[in-house]
Parts: sequence; structure tokens; C-alpha cells
Amino acid sequence: MNIAQILFYLMSFITLTSAIFVASTKNLVRSVFMFFITLLGLAGLYVLSLADFVAITQVVIYVGGILVLILFAFMLSGKETLDAIQKQKNQFISANKAASVILAVLFFVVLILMIFKVDVNNLVWIKKAIGQNSDIKLNSNMTDNIGINLMTRYLLPFEAISILLMMALVGAAHLSRKEQRQ
Amino acid sequence: MNFYITSFGIGIGLFAFTALFALFAVYAERKVSAFIQDRLGPMETGKFGMLQTLADGLKLIQKELIIPAAADKYLFMLAPAIIFLAVYMGFAAMPWAPGLEPTHMNLGLYYIFAIIAIETLGILMAGWGSNNKYSILGAMRSVAQIISYEIPAGFALISVVMIAQTLNMQEIATQQGILSTESIKFLGFWDVSKIGGFFGWNIFRAPHLIIAFVIYFIASLAESNRAPFDIPEAESELVAGFHTEFTGWRFAFVFFSEYSMMFLVSMISVILFLGAWNTPLPNIGSVHLAAWTTGTAWGIIWIVIKTLSLVGIQMWIRWTLPRLRVDQLMNLCWKVLTPLAFICMLISGVWRLWLM
Repeated sequence: MNIAQILFYLMSFITLTSAIFVASTKNLVRSVFMFFITLLGLAGLYVLSLADFVAITQVVIYVGGILVLILFAFMLSGKETLDAIQKQKNQFISANKAASVILAVLFFVVLILMIFKVDVNNLVWIKKAIGQNSDIKLNSNMTDNIGINLMTRYLLPFEAISILLMMALVGAAHLSRKEQRQ
Repeated sequence: MNFYITSFGIGIGLFAFTALFALFAVYAERKVSAFIQDRLGPMETGKFGMLQTLADGLKLIQKELIIPAAADKYLFMLAPAIIFLAVYMGFAAMPWAPGLEPTHMNLGLYYIFAIIAIETLGILMAGWGSNNKYSILGAMRSVAQIISYEIPAGFALISVVMIAQTLNMQEIATQQGILSTESIKFLGFWDVSKIGGFFGWNIFRAPHLIIAFVIYFIASLAESNRAPFDIPEAESELVAGFHTEFTGWRFAFVFFSEYSMMFLVSMISVILFLGAWNTPLPNIGSVHLAAWTTGTAWGIIWIVIKTLSLVGIQMWIRWTLPRLRVDQLMNLCWKVLTPLAFICMLISGVWRLWLM
């Protein structure tokens, strides 16, 4: 086993165990902080697959943005509300959970099927990329590629997303404004 | 095997540097504050009180580590480590001299931006884990402030990146002096690639970057929770903000990271705006001052001098200006700095297209 493989297994282990903890713990705040570890582990996996830009973007967006927002919501809601959630009765098997159990099982089946059906070493699109010499090498520059593609091939989706975000911003500003007296 | 030894060596070296810097900076801060308030400052321990911070450190190591009964034990214990690690990891992408950098990273600047975001999480962890209303208020204030000020800071950085066309810190540094491979133009018209010196610095390559530099400097004060943006630790209102409950070396680590953060943000602004490790002395005719004062050792000297002077200005500001109120703080961020930073970014684009 070389060092990359050891790192891969280490990262996957960290990601999986912390993700299980996030899903199973009753302490909501701790689970959010544990989610941070999951995200870091995922970022490590991205780096191992030569997607460092994705890794850093994930840390910026999830850790710097989304996690902090979730925590803000917790802190503004106060201890009593959180305690009430923790005291909920939690039976392992109950009718309320049927929908989520079915969803989870189906998704698991899909994943397992995919893993068994795919021939990882002979994927068509990877072979094609290597044939065209457009695969990513260890020292190639990825950000240029992403930037050029965003501004040419994917310009329309990019602009559509920016308009969507703009709408969200305007909406948030409108909601948080003081109401005018009439 | 050698690779791992050097990697660990660099890590330990950087750690030792941050620790030494914190020792020095605390002493400097106390002396600067004493000078500004017309006092003497620490005088008892050692000559001119120079051993004072060492003695403080020894005291902090010996102190009992108290965990409040109602605190969330694990979050409380881990928080100082995460706050410190976030700042410490930022140093990994910093170039110190031509060819001397801990890691060669294409995305250096972006990486630093991401790592600093982790610090906010550590602060929230400390505030929540302490289970103390002052701590939580401090943490929330701190995070609200850091998140808001990340926006003008980010746009000020982007306006530099648009001029430099790279996120690699070492390349941004190289572009600002005589070692540059592309031509540098002072204010967009005078080619100074051979002259170097302060003419090649980013703030003089494109004059609107002076505004970007000021924006980034103000935002960096807010990001390291320094006065006049120290509402998270406002002593008169919140005891000590998010680190109220910490004792012993845990408190020392929180303190460490504050001073390392000062050095880190100053170093970022030096690299991006003030010519990084490039000499301020230009080549004048046959007197090749710039060529004589460029090199590994010179690079380290210049970057440390520049960074320390920025840290000095941060201290000067802290002991001169009063604390801002929350609403004033947000007004400054959203109504002044953010629009200005947007304008800087716009000018950068035009400048790059038509003048470079």
C-alpha cells in the first residue's frame, strides 16, 4: 500500500465515522460540529482525486457559510428548544420512519448496484479523455480550465445561478426591512 | 524519507516562529500601549521588562485547567486547538523569499481564505461550549463581524488577483519586482521591470489598489478582532467575550492565535499589495540597489520588516481609536467598504484589459 492509499482509507474512515455520528447523535450542536469533520474529510478526498479547487470551494461554502448559518440558528433559538428536541422519544422501529427507511434502503440498493455494475478500470469516458489527452495530470493547472469553461461553455447556467442568488439577496433584504407605518 | 523530514521540519519551524512572535508581540503591545498612554509598561522582569511575557507564559502553563460544570466538555476543550490550527495552517501558503515557501500551491490565496473561515467555527465552538451568556454573545458578535468583513476583504483581494492573474502567492510576489518575467508598469505607463524597488509594488502598479489595500487593512483588523473592532471581547460589556471561561494554556492558545492572526493578515497584505519580499530600493542608473538587495536572506528580512511595521500600525490603531458600536461597524462594512471594494474590482478589470 502506498501513501496515497493509506491516506485514502484514513480520510474515508474519518468521513464515514463522523457522518454516522452526525446522523445518530441526539446532541444537535455536537452533530453540527461533527459535520465539520465530515466536510474536512471529504475535502481531503477531493484533494486526493486532484480536485483541489472543489475541495477548497467546499470548505469556503460549507464551513464558512452554511455551518455557521446553522449554528447561528441554534444559538438564536436558545437552549430550551434544543433540549425539547433531545428529549423526544426515539424508537428504533416506528411507523413515522417508514418513508425515510424506504428511501434510504432504495438509495442503498441503487448505490450497491452501481458499484457492482461499473467496471471502474475501463470506463468509457475516462478512456476517451485519456485518448484526447484532456485528462487532468498531477501538475496541470485546474483553475484556468474551470474559469474558461464557466465563461464560455457554461455561461448561461452560470448567469442563471447568479440571477437566482440575486433574487434571494433582494428577497432577504426585503424580509428583514422594518415595516413602514401607514 | 527526506521529504517527510523536511515537511515536519517546516511545520515545527513555523510553529516555533508563531510562538516566538506571540511572545515578542505581547511585549511590544504592552510597551506600545504604555508609550501611547505615557506610562512605562512592564519594567520589573528582566531588563526593561523583556522577560515579562516569558514569565506570563510560565505562569499560564502552571495554571489549573478549569472546565465549567455546565460546559460542553469536548467542544470546550477542542475549541482553542481549532482556533489556533486554523491560523497556523494559513502560514503553509506564505512565500518568505524567492524560492522559499512551505508549499507550492496554485490556489494559495483561495486556500488561505478558506482556512481563515475555519477560525470562525472555532470561535463559535468556544462560545457555545463555555455555556456562558457572555461567551455566546461574544462568539456571535465575533462571527457576525468576521463574516460581514470577509466580503469587502474578499473583493479587495479579487481586485489584486485580477491584476496579477494568478492565485499563487509566490507568483504574485515575484510579479512585483526585478525578478518578474512580465513587464511591470508604474501607474500603467512607465515600464519599471528593470528598475524594481517600490515602483513595482502592486499599490503603485495600479493606483486604485491603494484603496483596495486600505479596505483590506480595515477588514483584516475586523477579522483578527482587534480594536476598533473588538466588540467580541469588549471588556466593559462582556468580561472577555468568547474566551471568558478559558484558563491556563487553553487561554494561552487563544491568545497565541490572535497574535498569529495579526501576523498572518499583515503578511497577506504585504504579499498582495506591498511587494512581498521585494526590496523597496530601486535600481538608479549604475547603482543597482534592487539587484544587490534581492535574495533569500534579503527576502526574509524585507518581508519580516514590512509585516512587522503593519503589525505595529495595528497596535497603534488599537491604542488610539475607541471601539465602534455594532451598528456603526455594520454601516462601515456594508455602506462604505463593500461598495468601494466593488468599484475597485471594476476598475481592476478595466485596468487589466486596457492599460496592461
